[in-house]
Amino acid sequence: MAELGAFALIAAWVLSAYAIVMALAGEAWRQREFVASAEHAAIGVWGFILIAVGALLHALAAHDFAIEYVAHYSSTTLPLAYTVAALWGGQAGSLLFWLLVLTSMSTVVVLQNRQSNRALMPSVVAVLMVVSLFFLSMLVFVTPPFQRLAFVPPEGRDLNPLLQNYWMMIHPPALYIGYVGCAIPFAFAMAALITGRLDDVWIRTTRRWTLLAWFFLSLGNLFGAEWAYTVLGWGGYWAWDPVENAAFMPWLTCTAFLHSVMIQEKKNMLKVWNMVLVILTFALTIFGTFLTRSGVISSVHSFTQSGLGPFFIGFLLATLAVSVALLLWRLPLLRSENTLDSILSREAAFLLNNLVLVGIAFAVFWGTIFPVISEAVRGVKITVGPPFFNRVNAPLGLLLLFLMGVGPLIAWRRASARNLRRNFLLPGLIGLGAGLALVLGGVREFYALLSFSLCAFVMATIVLEFWRGVRARQAMVGEHVGQALVRLVAKNRRRYGGYIIHVGVVMIFVAITGTAAFRQEQQVAVAPGQTLAIGDYTLRFDGVQERDTPHIAYLTAAVAVLRNGRVIDTLHPEKRFYKKPEQPTTEVAFRSTLGGDLYLVLGSYDQATRTATILAYINPLIGFLWWGGIVAALGTVITIWPARVAVPATHTAPAGATDGATVR
Amino acid sequence: MNQRLKFGIGAALLVGAVAYLMYTGVQQTSVYYLTIDEFLARRAALADEGVRVAGRVQHGSVERRMTPRGEELRFRLGDFKGEAQPTDSVPVFFVGVTPDMFRDDGGSDVIVEGTYRDGTLMAQTVMTSCPSKYEAEPASGR
Repeated sequence: MAELGAFALIAAWVLSAYAIVMALAGEAWRQREFVASAEHAAIGVWGFILIAVGALLHALAAHDFAIEYVAHYSSTTLPLAYTVAALWGGQAGSLLFWLLVLTSMSTVVVLQNRQSNRALMPSVVAVLMVVSLFFLSMLVFVTPPFQRLAFVPPEGRDLNPLLQNYWMMIHPPALYIGYVGCAIPFAFAMAALITGRLDDVWIRTTRRWTLLAWFFLSLGNLFGAEWAYTVLGWGGYWAWDPVENAAFMPWLTCTAFLHSVMIQEKKNMLKVWNMVLVILTFALTIFGTFLTRSGVISSVHSFTQSGLGPFFIGFLLATLAVSVALLLWRLPLLRSENTLDSILSREAAFLLNNLVLVGIAFAVFWGTIFPVISEAVRGVKITVGPPFFNRVNAPLGLLLLFLMGVGPLIAWRRASARNLRRNFLLPGLIGLGAGLALVLGGVREFYALLSFSLCAFVMATIVLEFWRGVRARQAMVGEHVGQALVRLVAKNRRRYGGYIIHVGVVMIFVAITGTAAFRQEQQVAVAPGQTLAIGDYTLRFDGVQERDTPHIAYLTAAVAVLRNGRVIDTLHPEKRFYKKPEQPTTEVAFRSTLGGDLYLVLGSYDQATRTATILAYINPLIGFLWWGGIVAALGTVITIWPARVAVPATHTAPAGATDGATVR
Repeated sequence: MNQRLKFGIGAALLVGAVAYLMYTGVQQTSVYYLTIDEFLARRAALADEGVRVAGRVQHGSVERRMTPRGEELRFRLGDFKGEAQPTDSVPVFFVGVTPDMFRDDGGSDVIVEGTYRDGTLMAQTVMTSCPSKYEAEPASGR
């Protein structure tokens, strides 16, 4: 099976190269057959990747420890689910998984577009296959997944215990799908530049792809935060670690792109800017892979220096050089047909939103590579930690939050005083009222006050928008409130889906503000029966229990949670000692309420005195992070969901449900 | 044109603000990131500075003691020369939760973040950086 896998990779490499040649030749000499052959080859690449993935999965499941990858990342005692997850637990496997996603998407793109998009397809196939060829070259020449060991070890080294967690099952795949998804709009953008067809066909074709990529990038980041929170045991969910930043930066530029394409679709502006964003987003996904795979920047994730770094940086620079050259060549064709009319307009608000997003991305980029820059310039490595990122991004994030309230409701072209009053007077007052209420309630942190006020403002703008839409439907069609709400969203999926995403983002801002401003932390050593106080909880340590299994030994603490002298819960923070490789891990325990989490870590345990160190955190409002993520995901699904095809027109469309100042 | 100018000014202000935030952010939050050799060579100049030092925990130097405010951890941070005794090292003091990957017999590669004061590295955080954490070392390398 392993030989079959290795052969399949070589075959896929050859077919990718063939597809590139045929696609370019077909484009140059207008040979339809050549292009068709390239498209079939692209699907063939997918087939061979499927075989390779199947072979690796088979080797993992069959515990074929003669294969280095299998011996390193699995063992006979590893549960089956994690044995499958080991496919993306190591370097070669994760690159193979990446290719699986890329070629699957390429296949769908080919099947979707080969008839409808004949002009762009040759170049699209060529670009996608260049990316595929690069990753295949890594797998064939640099880090082969089917490498055999000189001897067959009786047992594997097992998957890293930190990865043996259910988030591992979904976090990396989500992130990879997001990363790879960014290649599709990039390929279409490049095709538009190559062919000179710079109308918005490429943007409309890739709209759903971009949203899909964005959706998975968002999920990937969110799952990563959840993983850090539940597994790493330091009480937080985001540490501005280079690897986290690597996933966050393309998300920022992709978010900017999703917003600025609306301006191009509606106003035919920002064509160059959109090209820049799509190039930047794709480059950042490659840069992210480079960061995590090269070891150039130290990270708590601590990947080794694997020798892949130079290849990735080379590919990244080549990609940037070629795409920027194409962009400069086509610059004359990308002139805007419209200009900005007023600074008080939706165009301006969207542009500002874009600048802020790209500004945040740049600050994150700068902070991430600062050690490398400072070493090159001043000869000494200087790092900036979380305080840098928080300092820079807090004001920018709040500006973004403000624009999120303004952007969707301000008028196109030029906002009149009436438009501003109608859409923003009430929400503005609500925001101010919320701020005032918090001041009276004793909140004094400036950023927290500002953030919560802005959250209230944005929520008010959205609720107002929904309420108006529902009222208009009720007046026109006479529906019930619930029915009107559902129909309103269903008939304007893109617009109201977008609003729902914004609601989710506001909730995430609430969580970030709560945890950033009001987090509490306690660390004490306690003997059985002793207590500690945190927030309005009293915690009583009730001792530790030991348990042993062939795979893991457990040390489980019992901590009673008391409020007002009554036991309301018992939590069990845990230490686990994995046996292969020998490594302890921390399992946190928490009690979640809407107001926040009580989060417990068993720090250390002294057998002789039966004393344990307990770390206790109160993370206010953190639940809003996950719920906000779910709401945003729901909004994205609504936005992406295809409109029902060819419904006979029944003419209930309430033109009055949308006022003059809206997107479609 | 006037409106474009206005927008240009707004954008310039925004870019300026980002640049300012980044500049002051770097000024106020940056710490030296040194290997233990670099640190030992210039430690006199680093008194009371925030530093981040990468080194290896010396064998037999680890002491843990349970106190009411948590566990105290003391060890000596030396260079990466493996088993051989390093010529020089610096004592580290830390109160908190010792990371899972920290080995009590020494030999862990760690990154210590803290302040160098009175000849001791007072650590705020101790991070273990095991090269084989997510990615095994190449088999040929051992």
